[in-house]
Amino acid sequence: MTDEKIKVNVFRYDPAVDQEPYYQTYNVPWEPGMSAMTALDYIYNHLDGTLAYYDHAGCDLGICSQCTGKINGKSGLFCQTAVKEEITLEPRKKERVLKDLITQRAESSK
Amino acid sequence: MRNVKTIETDVLVIGGGGAGFRAAIEAREKECNVLMISKGPLARCGATPMAGADYTLDGKSMSKIEGLTGDPNDSAEKVFNDIVTQGCYLNNQKLVEQYIKRAPQCLKELMDWGLKVKLSDERMIFTTGTGMMNVLLRKAKSVGVDLLEDVAVLELLTHENSVVGALGLNVLTGEFIHFRCKAIVMATGGWHKAFWPNTGMRDLSGEGIAMAHRAGADIGNMEFITFCCNTFYAPPMWRGSIAPYIISLICGGRLTNNRGEDVLKGYDSFLVEKGTLTEWNKSFLSFVTAKQARDGKVFANGGLHYTRGDASWEMMELVASMVFPNWKYKALDLTEWGRMLQENEPVEVGHAVEFFEGGIVINDQFETAVAGLYAAGECALGTFGANRVFAAITEIFTQGADAGNNAGEYAHNRQSADLDLSALKELKEKALQPLTVSKGERPAELRKRVQRKSQRYLGPIRNRDELETFLDYLEDIKVSVLPKLSTTNDSRTYNKEWMDALELPNMIQLLESSVRSALMRTESRGVHYREDFPDTDNDNWLQEIIVKHDTATFQLNQRPLTITSMSPPTGVTPYLDFMKQMMEAHSDTGGKH
Repeated sequence: MTDEKIKVNVFRYDPAVDQEPYYQTYNVPWEPGMSAMTALDYIYNHLDGTLAYYDHAGCDLGICSQCTGKINGKSGLFCQTAVKEEITLEPRKKERVLKDLITQRAESSK
Repeated sequence: MRNVKTIETDVLVIGGGGAGFRAAIEAREKECNVLMISKGPLARCGATPMAGADYTLDGKSMSKIEGLTGDPNDSAEKVFNDIVTQGCYLNNQKLVEQYIKRAPQCLKELMDWGLKVKLSDERMIFTTGTGMMNVLLRKAKSVGVDLLEDVAVLELLTHENSVVGALGLNVLTGEFIHFRCKAIVMATGGWHKAFWPNTGMRDLSGEGIAMAHRAGADIGNMEFITFCCNTFYAPPMWRGSIAPYIISLICGGRLTNNRGEDVLKGYDSFLVEKGTLTEWNKSFLSFVTAKQARDGKVFANGGLHYTRGDASWEMMELVASMVFPNWKYKALDLTEWGRMLQENEPVEVGHAVEFFEGGIVINDQFETAVAGLYAAGECALGTFGANRVFAAITEIFTQGADAGNNAGEYAHNRQSADLDLSALKELKEKALQPLTVSKGERPAELRKRVQRKSQRYLGPIRNRDELETFLDYLEDIKVSVLPKLSTTNDSRTYNKEWMDALELPNMIQLLESSVRSALMRTESRGVHYREDFPDTDNDNWLQEIIVKHDTATFQLNQRPLTITSMSPPTGVTPYLDFMKQMMEAHSDTGGKH
């Protein structure tokens, strides 16, 4: 870990509480080879326990694809997108947000 | 309290990995309604999708399947000998026989259902974990298994020592679900989340074993924990990936410490050969790595440097082209590592928790001590004894199929019982507690602390002082921290802190039973090495350790082994000498197993 910090702007929205979505900025220590998921984990573990992103069953290794979202406006997996400077993280579909970066599933595949 | 949905089924399968799917498919054959609950996304959670994945069976049976290799001189007897010696004789030999007998049938079924085999050797076929899950999902849907995803089961409900249902939680919405059923198959895998780093998905927190234990099932051999060697420790984006393990197993390579020393220098050459180029590498190399770490000879992340060394680049390229073509596996891009290997640049690797030999005590019908409760796969105790070399993937199918069949038969002619609504109310209130406690302990911080301590005190090398320190810590957590876990806000919608708070007591419960078992086993065997008892003691320790759950405490007892045809040796032998003897006892069939 270096002393360097980067700004991570995260889309926040809890429809039960918030009138409208907003962006929250966190300062996260940068380390070589970190991903957007590394940054989210750092925020959750050290800065803000209320942040919601899919990880209760995530793989963090690019296999399950549950962490799909938008990184600086571009679709990708949070866990396999390298982070080198300030970034903005958003859900895959803002109109289907359940909370923050979590979107509702299409009708459950029962 | 909000209105809670009740879902009725005949057989409830808890766990959405390979064992759960296989059990659900088989139970459905018994004309039962079957519901399988997956904690994460369907077919993309649990350990199975993360597997390499190899499926092992006796080579002779394999050689009869069109398109597969298989050594025709291999036999069920040879495989039995190998699994039992690899397990250092602690295996339940009845379950080993079941594994060997059912493995060829289960593989043929999978291929009939559409599984593609990438390559095969003397007694192993290689495919992908995600490929297996896709086949299972398709099959489960086609036979009418009901499926639920993103649902965690919190507790089992029993009446007069029989299962009658369970309490679940929709992780996304935070709504409780009541399940009413006649039989349950537990297929929840291991408890990787109690350690960091690990090779498993983030959902594997061991609640299946823990809740079965609380419901009255025994658990056993909890001290045996396999660490995969040579997993990436850095960079963060690759951490936990087993890619270097796969390449080093097939091609070799070089491991050096922070002083530039070859860490395998000084070990017996036979031990090094079998302990690097067969799947004994997990126990042997993880032991070596842990020793380096304890001697302070590791790099910044606690690992060693892995380089290509004298291994051939052409061979590595060839293996990579088959296992992860173009140095990519799904979205994991290892192109840069390919370049580093070619140019002999180091990556930091080390041991990460991978497999739990112990688990829920079952008999050879996959029944537990609770009527109607079955267990299959990694969450169950028995097949692999003190050390697993043969594939765990095979076991999820052989055990899943038979456990599902037996649970279906059990449920078929039975009436379901009424749910005890007052007991459910109590359980829900308890589950909601972290949302209402204010100014308590942060669940995320506790999880990180526990994970670090597990890695340090319950790794491949243990001793009494450290285990006792860890036990004191866990007891303190249980009494003074768990009741005070609290979330920042009381939102029930995807509240990660709430999930952490619900998972942590299960992990603490399993860690405590594991540490107590490791303390009790005053010898070294398989993946359990005690610095203060460095010998394998076949005169006193050819015993299982069974943990019973009393309301407030655990009772540990020894249980005699289940032996069918292979008598264990006697005498006391230094750990690595006994490991070498077990390697030497291997049959003449080649390959990695």
